[in-house]
Amino acid sequence: MRFTPTELTADELALQTEVRSFLAEELPPGSHEPGLGMSARHDKDFSKKMAERGWVGMALPTEWGGSDRNAVDRFVVVEEMLRWGAPVGYHWVADRQTGNIILKFGTDEQKERFLPPICRAELGFSIGMSEPDSGSDLASVTTRAERDDGGWIVNGTKIWTSNAHTNDWFICLLRTAPLEPGGNKREGLSQMLIDLHNTDGLELSPIPFLNGEHHFNEVSFNDVFVPDENVVGQPGMGWNQNTTEMAYERGGPDRWLSPFSTVEQLLRELEGTELGPLAVELFGELTARWWGIRNLSLSVSRLIDAGEAPSVESSLVKEMGTRFEIEVIEKLVEFVDHELSPGSSSLFERLLAQCVLTGPGNTIRGGTIEILRSVAAKGLQGLPA
Amino acid sequence: MSVDSLITDTATRLFEQHCTHSAIQQAEADGEAPGIWAAFAETGFPWISLPEEAGGSGGTLLDALEVLRLVGYHAAPIPAAETGMLGGWLLASAGLELPEGIVTVAPGTDTDSLTVDATGAVSGAVHMVPWGRAAERLAVIADGTIASIPLAGATVEPGTSLAGEPRDTLTFDSVAAETAPAPGGIDVEALRFRGALSRVALMAGAIEKMSRLTVSYTNEREQFGRPVARFQAVQQHLVWAAQDAALARMAAETAGRHAERDEDARFEIAAAKLVANQAATRATKACHQAHGAMGMTQEYELHHSSRRLWSWRSEYGGVREWSAWVGAAAVDAGADGLYPLITR
Repeated sequence: MRFTPTELTADELALQTEVRSFLAEELPPGSHEPGLGMSARHDKDFSKKMAERGWVGMALPTEWGGSDRNAVDRFVVVEEMLRWGAPVGYHWVADRQTGNIILKFGTDEQKERFLPPICRAELGFSIGMSEPDSGSDLASVTTRAERDDGGWIVNGTKIWTSNAHTNDWFICLLRTAPLEPGGNKREGLSQMLIDLHNTDGLELSPIPFLNGEHHFNEVSFNDVFVPDENVVGQPGMGWNQNTTEMAYERGGPDRWLSPFSTVEQLLRELEGTELGPLAVELFGELTARWWGIRNLSLSVSRLIDAGEAPSVESSLVKEMGTRFEIEVIEKLVEFVDHELSPGSSSLFERLLAQCVLTGPGNTIRGGTIEILRSVAAKGLQGLPA
Repeated sequence: MSVDSLITDTATRLFEQHCTHSAIQQAEADGEAPGIWAAFAETGFPWISLPEEAGGSGGTLLDALEVLRLVGYHAAPIPAAETGMLGGWLLASAGLELPEGIVTVAPGTDTDSLTVDATGAVSGAVHMVPWGRAAERLAVIADGTIASIPLAGATVEPGTSLAGEPRDTLTFDSVAAETAPAPGGIDVEALRFRGALSRVALMAGAIEKMSRLTVSYTNEREQFGRPVARFQAVQQHLVWAAQDAALARMAAETAGRHAERDEDARFEIAAAKLVANQAATRATKACHQAHGAMGMTQEYELHHSSRRLWSWRSEYGGVREWSAWVGAAAVDAGADGLYPLITR
């Protein structure tokens, strides 16, 4: 394990300036209700504007509609968007991981079909992993796909599928070979791309989120036909592909910036008042800790660009970053010290109320911190994760 | 900007040879370690980052911080920071002679009362001075003047840090000092930040050592028929210590790079000290818990790291002092400037 300090190059700083100007113009403070990091609003128009500037699918090759930029460039764009609370929800998953998976494992036909629309922000993706009896133990999924002429017939249920109702497609982890008693459950799994809204036998129903919003869905499959051309990579190799996909989910700014817009807004609302030592020290501690975590997270992106697979490093950053997010929320609640109203006239207080109501998910989504610890600890001991 | 691996390799070999468990124990019992210091001084390491024309060893501040990281890693019981990047830096910057022996500086306590009169005579007391008893000179900065005070004329009242390292009270009664005007930019605040940076580097090394020691111990120690590192509850401690090791080292190296460029690195140093102080607190807790009773004895080496961390986390400013400093910078930056400050 080694995190090498790194700084942004002149080109990367120029990109940062460009993104900041874009945001200051498109979403000046006070003109929009910021989101909490990656729990951002879906705004196809905003996603489109980003795509026009080459900021969606930016690390994908130009031949497939991307900008051929690298992981650090994407880091720069993403951190600015998230800290601003910009509405990046629509293209978020496709940009972060689905595009990469299709590029890495998909056929040329699939790349042609999916990557350019992802980069134009015309195709939003959800992730179909969890099931009623399958969360952290993801290899235990039982939604099954059985062979049929030219494709597969799928039956089963996916749950906690974020934004299936607002996105267009999802990438599902399915069992394509039955699990024999005593067999390896990591074998016989496959990844498939499925249209969420134009597929016979596929049914979506909302599962109300902790804050009352429609975010999660249950997606049930009743004899859903998936053609062979929608299978990603080799049938049966889904577990390895999925593990690769999870690596894209870890260690980035989305794992430590969720409450940033809330803290920034607190500072904004306190401007012009005399701050006591408690407030000053609170801002000081949070600022310093964000500085520290950002440096670690940035160095993970640099490692990815150097062709390394920093799975231990990214697990460490994600575990630490999401716990930090929760600590930030707790410190803000202690600082405020009165009951929060989700409908408060103070934007800071509205945001903090949402932080409290959605915060527990931060250390769960994309792999619970317990799973991450297990991955990281094995890496620290030189054992296979 | 990077450190020559020759420095890392040479210092590592030196400390591996000299800073054995028993040698560090002995240093604590004796209150000094002249043998370890002599071997260290032989290489010229104490004076890295001080210009050769001033009698230093040359090299960069980053080189000096790398040596300090290794001092921390190996729990070397020597005043490396004081003689070089703190005291030596003060003397060299004012054109005062670098002595052959140890130089120390006072980290600054509320009850320090040193005064230098117009004739250069020093009176008063300074407390918690690292290796005061073994030093040849005390370097002091005050009111635009840098003084090099011979310790032959001081009264030394021995004391220790939580790590059992010398932290002495030095009392002077009209002792003649060599003085010179301090160059611009070198003042009490500058020394405070530099002292903080030195502690961040030391802590980064100590946390890394503790983290590795804990991984290896928990893989050897068996309970319930298997290595305790196989238990998830123990793995949590390994992960947290590794995170804090990474965080403190990143903080040290990032702040060091900014300071090396001779820019205003106060924000980075303040943030680094705060982050490292907290990392020290969390990591010592995690590593001690994972070690169980074994870590509660001086027969085992964990305490060389953990007790030093409890000392260094408070030296040159604890969490509150640096939170207040960074907080003032954040408030000054304002809401629109907050993220640009973090990413500057």
